[in-house]
Amino acid sequence: MASISQIQGVGLGLKRELIPQIQSLYGQPEIANINFVEIAPENWIGVGGKSAKQLDWFVERYPIVCHGLCLSLGGLAPLNTDFLQQVKSFLHQYQIPVYTEHLSYCTDGYKGEQGYLYDLLPIPFTEEAVHYVAKRIRQTQDILGQRIGIENASFYAAAPVSEMSELAFIKAVLDEADCLLHLDINNIYVNSVNFNFNPHEFLRGIPGERIIYSHVAGHYQQTPKLLVDTHGEDIIDPVWALLEDAYQLFGAFPTLLERDTNIPPLNILMSEVNKIAQLQRNRSNQQLS
Amino acid sequence: MSADDLMLANDLPSFQRYQLAFTAHIRDPLHQPRPQGVAASGMAVYKEIVFNNLFASVSACFPVAQKVIGKRAWLKLIRAFLREHAANTPIFRKVPEEFLSFLADSTSNSPPLLPSYLPSLCHYEWIELLVASIEAPKLDDEAINRQGDLLTEQPVFTPTMQLLSYDYAVHKISPRNKPKQQLSTQLLVYRNIEDEVKFIALNSITFRLLSLLRQNKSTGKQALTLIADDMHTGSTEKIIQFGLQALEDLKNLGVIIGTLKPKSPPDKKLIS
Repeated sequence: MASISQIQGVGLGLKRELIPQIQSLYGQPEIANINFVEIAPENWIGVGGKSAKQLDWFVERYPIVCHGLCLSLGGLAPLNTDFLQQVKSFLHQYQIPVYTEHLSYCTDGYKGEQGYLYDLLPIPFTEEAVHYVAKRIRQTQDILGQRIGIENASFYAAAPVSEMSELAFIKAVLDEADCLLHLDINNIYVNSVNFNFNPHEFLRGIPGERIIYSHVAGHYQQTPKLLVDTHGEDIIDPVWALLEDAYQLFGAFPTLLERDTNIPPLNILMSEVNKIAQLQRNRSNQQLS
Repeated sequence: MSADDLMLANDLPSFQRYQLAFTAHIRDPLHQPRPQGVAASGMAVYKEIVFNNLFASVSACFPVAQKVIGKRAWLKLIRAFLREHAANTPIFRKVPEEFLSFLADSTSNSPPLLPSYLPSLCHYEWIELLVASIEAPKLDDEAINRQGDLLTEQPVFTPTMQLLSYDYAVHKISPRNKPKQQLSTQLLVYRNIEDEVKFIALNSITFRLLSLLRQNKSTGKQALTLIADDMHTGSTEKIIQFGLQALEDLKNLGVIIGTLKPKSPPDKKLIS
């Protein structure tokens, strides 16, 4: 059984386009820095055929983490416990030790159904929302029998009903739910531009002891004041600087590169994977000396 | 939002009332106002990403349908899907299935603006995705005779096999070949051992034969005799010969994987 302690170093989001490339380069030094891979359970639960064989291949060779998209922790419809049971058996079947989700919602309970909208929508930062989301996280953890990580989400529209800052909201939810933090470095940066705050100061408010692993990615600059978290571009320097700063503050935690659109060949992506590994080594060497 | 939803909304905490207004505007920007105090630029991003994401998930499954009805009609249809349909699955590859149920509802509820063959065509296109990704139950090799007699024993089909019957020749539809009339069409779809999805057009006798074999769990000969009796041709032998040839062809393609081994009585096993 893979365990949380095996989630180390650098990870890569497993996109279909990358699968044959990783398979053909497996064991070669070029991709030695890929230590673990991440999948969305919504893409893999209940698959058969070619996809099932690919999943088996990866399970035998890499520690895997599950990063969900549709649990809708802040959603209006009741938590989808049938789906959570499926997630639970999926984690068990493939011996996946980690499950994280977004601090967002993707359902609106439309017509008495879940009403999935299949995208990450922003939860207003209110006291009531803290209790509501924390309760649903605890319910999730009870069903799964394990702690989950929640990811700080990127967002583009501030809710006028919000009563607190994003950071205060994240911290309150983490405390009340007693869950782990899946720290998304790019999302901090994206939000800092969209809502005009200092991302390095934001980092300093993060409870580092809760970090299970982190994400880095590129984003799309729609206007200088509006960034969209597309995971479709190279990582920009300010985000690298933020990752380095986070390592300084909290140690070299495991970090995964997300690239979901406009995906270059693996050998190009590896330069970003290798750069993460280099930053982690720099941090660890510094600790030793 | 319906009147019921509104009454419910009044009881909700402010953050949820806001969420409802937010998603209502995403679903139907023309009729549901942008929530007060929300920046138009940020709201526009959400409207765009939700729609584009849904559009991409659905369109990927229906390359022919979208070409046949044209880009404008397709966009309108996905708009209506977002506006009207309450999707109930978190599994991404099931989104096209949600679209099928939306299509079934909307063609029964609204005036026929869409071609009558569209639900059949979409169903046919969706089947390919289904068969490619369906989880096939593991076969019990002990129970299957790979060399079994297809006439005297009960044929076993590959678990991914689907038998389909449509009112239109869905497999021949293209922008240049839109059906002008109904044509009863039977198809078999399955995943071969290379995990490729294959389609086979069936004649009505073979379709009936395969349906009988699957439903009644009968032997090849039993099913074919029944078909011959129903046809009143009097040439049962000819039908059996025809049917055997069809079954053997399907065996060679991997659609039929063998026959069910007769269960040996337990006491017999003890003796040997």
